[in-house]
Amino acid sequence: MRHEFERNIGFRYAIDLLEPASPYGRAKIAGLRFFSPDERPELERQLQNVVRTLHHLAPLAPEYEKISLYMMPLKDIRRSVEMCREAALSETELFELKRFCLQSVLISPVFARIRDASGIEGIDIRAQEEALGLLDPENARAATFFLPDASSKALLAIRKEKRALEEKLRRAADRDERARLMAERAAVAAREDVEESRLRAEICEGLRPHIDGILRCMDGIANFDFTLARAKLAAAYGGCAVEFSRNEVEFVDMRNPRVADALKERGGSFTPVSISAGPGAALITGANMGGKSVALKTLALNALLVKAGLLPFAKSARLPLFEEIFLVAEDGEDVGRGLSSFGAEIVRFNEMLSRALRAKGVCLLLLDEFARGTNPEEGALIARAVTRRLNGLPHVGVLTTHYDGVARYAKLHYEVAGLRDMDVAAVAREIAANRGDGVRVIARHMNYGLYRAQGRESCPRDARNVCMLLGMDAEILKDIAAQE
Amino acid sequence: MLKEHILGFRSLSIIGMCKNAGKTTVLNRIIRELRDEPMTLALTSIGRDGEAVDVVTGTAKPGIYVYEGSLVATARDMLRFCDATREIVGTTPYSTPLGDVVIFRARGDGGVQLAGPSMTAQLIELTNAFETLGADMTVIDGALSRKSLCAPAVSEATVLCTGASYSRSIDTLVGDTAFAAKLLTLPRQTLWSGAEAGDPQAPKVRLRRKDGTVLIPPEGKSLAQALRAPENRDVAGVFISGALTEATLRPVLQGGADIAGVEFAALDGSRLLIGRDAYDKLALRGAKLAVARPVRVAAVAVNPVSACGFDMDPAELLARMREAVDVPVLDVMNEDGGLL
Repeated sequence: MRHEFERNIGFRYAIDLLEPASPYGRAKIAGLRFFSPDERPELERQLQNVVRTLHHLAPLAPEYEKISLYMMPLKDIRRSVEMCREAALSETELFELKRFCLQSVLISPVFARIRDASGIEGIDIRAQEEALGLLDPENARAATFFLPDASSKALLAIRKEKRALEEKLRRAADRDERARLMAERAAVAAREDVEESRLRAEICEGLRPHIDGILRCMDGIANFDFTLARAKLAAAYGGCAVEFSRNEVEFVDMRNPRVADALKERGGSFTPVSISAGPGAALITGANMGGKSVALKTLALNALLVKAGLLPFAKSARLPLFEEIFLVAEDGEDVGRGLSSFGAEIVRFNEMLSRALRAKGVCLLLLDEFARGTNPEEGALIARAVTRRLNGLPHVGVLTTHYDGVARYAKLHYEVAGLRDMDVAAVAREIAANRGDGVRVIARHMNYGLYRAQGRESCPRDARNVCMLLGMDAEILKDIAAQE
Repeated sequence: MLKEHILGFRSLSIIGMCKNAGKTTVLNRIIRELRDEPMTLALTSIGRDGEAVDVVTGTAKPGIYVYEGSLVATARDMLRFCDATREIVGTTPYSTPLGDVVIFRARGDGGVQLAGPSMTAQLIELTNAFETLGADMTVIDGALSRKSLCAPAVSEATVLCTGASYSRSIDTLVGDTAFAAKLLTLPRQTLWSGAEAGDPQAPKVRLRRKDGTVLIPPEGKSLAQALRAPENRDVAGVFISGALTEATLRPVLQGGADIAGVEFAALDGSRLLIGRDAYDKLALRGAKLAVARPVRVAAVAVNPVSACGFDMDPAELLARMREAVDVPVLDVMNEDGGLL
């Protein structure tokens, strides 16, 4: 269900937009975690680093490009490094470790320049020179792994013997002599194998004191790579710094990349969402198709991004580090679970409320068209009662609704402008010209902006206009008009 | 000498008609003959030869003997069966049941066991990686028979190995080998562009009319039905994406369609899963078989000794095979290769 929620609000979409350069950064994102309120200092440090990186993406572009290039060929070899604590590594594993150490020597100075220029804190990437010295005793700096003849007196002698036999084998023409030489060579090769194993074990012994340092270096790369990926995402979609508050939310011009990208693909554009809310219930009312749900999901997305250590997509952001974020909305999953949508909604609401009542910190409680699945009279009663209940809680609650008479109980009331200022006749003509692609035309004329409602309590009557514009049966429309 | 027939190719594959066809012997001979050439040889296999290692006992059968300086790509777990002194020069993301494929440079002479990538795209990448490391020629051991047919598709030339283990009858051995060589070396098709032929999204069957337009048989219509349709009398050729099988061809041959002059084409010789009978019938009806990527068979190697102790007369086998194919033929058991 958690996963469904993250997918539903576009959180997974945003995370998938991160493009780390190394497998260490990728592992960091795969294991993404949410910060709890008591981890705020660490979260603030990370967000600060992302902001600082974001501000230096342009001036330090060549350095970032260079370090990304150095991080790209890295392989995640943490498992074999851990294994080295107890066992000797194979030649391939030592090769990979040597490659890592060589890359660390390249990455470290570039990182130091970036760190000093951008001011990021708490990340360190040290060149693994000592470990490299053990893997490359002749200091050849070749990106290969080979035990040189001079590794030990024994190896030198064995290799000399083996080479002499191989030389003889090259010249031997007689079948029996070849067989004899092959057998002799095989025996020497077996001794070489034993000696090489011993030498590799010796190298691993020497490496053991450096393992913690190597793993710290990998962590540093993971953290830096993740930071850089977060900054690049913020640059691409407009992320901003976060100011933490106790229990007030104030977002200006939030965006939702998933919705924005989908709209862009269809030739539309995303209308940024601004909202402020404090403890208690804030209410969003407005037209059908007017983007109330999008507004709510965008709020959930950005609050959750901050909790995960990412910059929110907004012009400015002020919010608490929420203990938990809930969204109760209708989604396709309910049917599969055998519950009516109304029943599922109530079950979820109960769960949300009981967890919120137990929470020590501040939660964000979001309800999309709560009780929409039941009859309007009862639905409105339920929505009003829920609004009053949320008003009594220390948490930030935001609800969308269709129902009248709810707004008077909310602490704040927002309205989606919707089709309020639309010239109905002009839109009807445009639909006709577009061969009846009404949904698209209406979407283009819809004002998705969120506005503070000034004293108005009833919900706008846009539904009838939408029915008319989408060409609903004339008799039904006439009947609706007659009833009013 | 075998080397005069293979020098100059960037890549060479070695494939066998059956087990014990003498593939390893041929590979070793190539390595040996090229030893003193001023060139770097690179070796790998497509997949793993099932005969190479007894997995139960963990013992290796006689492997391939390489010389100092050669590059070798094999699975991580096969390294312990390689006794040449080596320098690891690279790892690859190609995974095999025996671990990822790694690349090493032989720093001395010695035995190696090959277990390379099994996908053709990976083999092409690997060949390029070898070249970056300085290889002048990549030799691909074709390994198991069915998969080995993919090896010619990624190499410029191939050596086809065959021998007494294939059949007790010299007629069958020679006939089937000549047929296999013929399928591999079919002429280049003439009706489709390289992009059309290689299009992975293309429908299984496409027909080209004489006026150049392309016709795709509607869903549920077989190739035979499409060719029989009176409105399709002017079909110049057929391109089969994937494999051209007997099942596709039989109705065409049994039906009354006039296929004289029609070109039947597939991507390469490995996609033609048809027997000699079908091939001969096609020829009799005046149809032509062709491939988009013809393979060059550099030589046919014959092994007169079978695994179960049954031997053929080397001289007769060589003579019969030379009559049947128009590429050089050599005897793998004969030191001078019988090529003199």
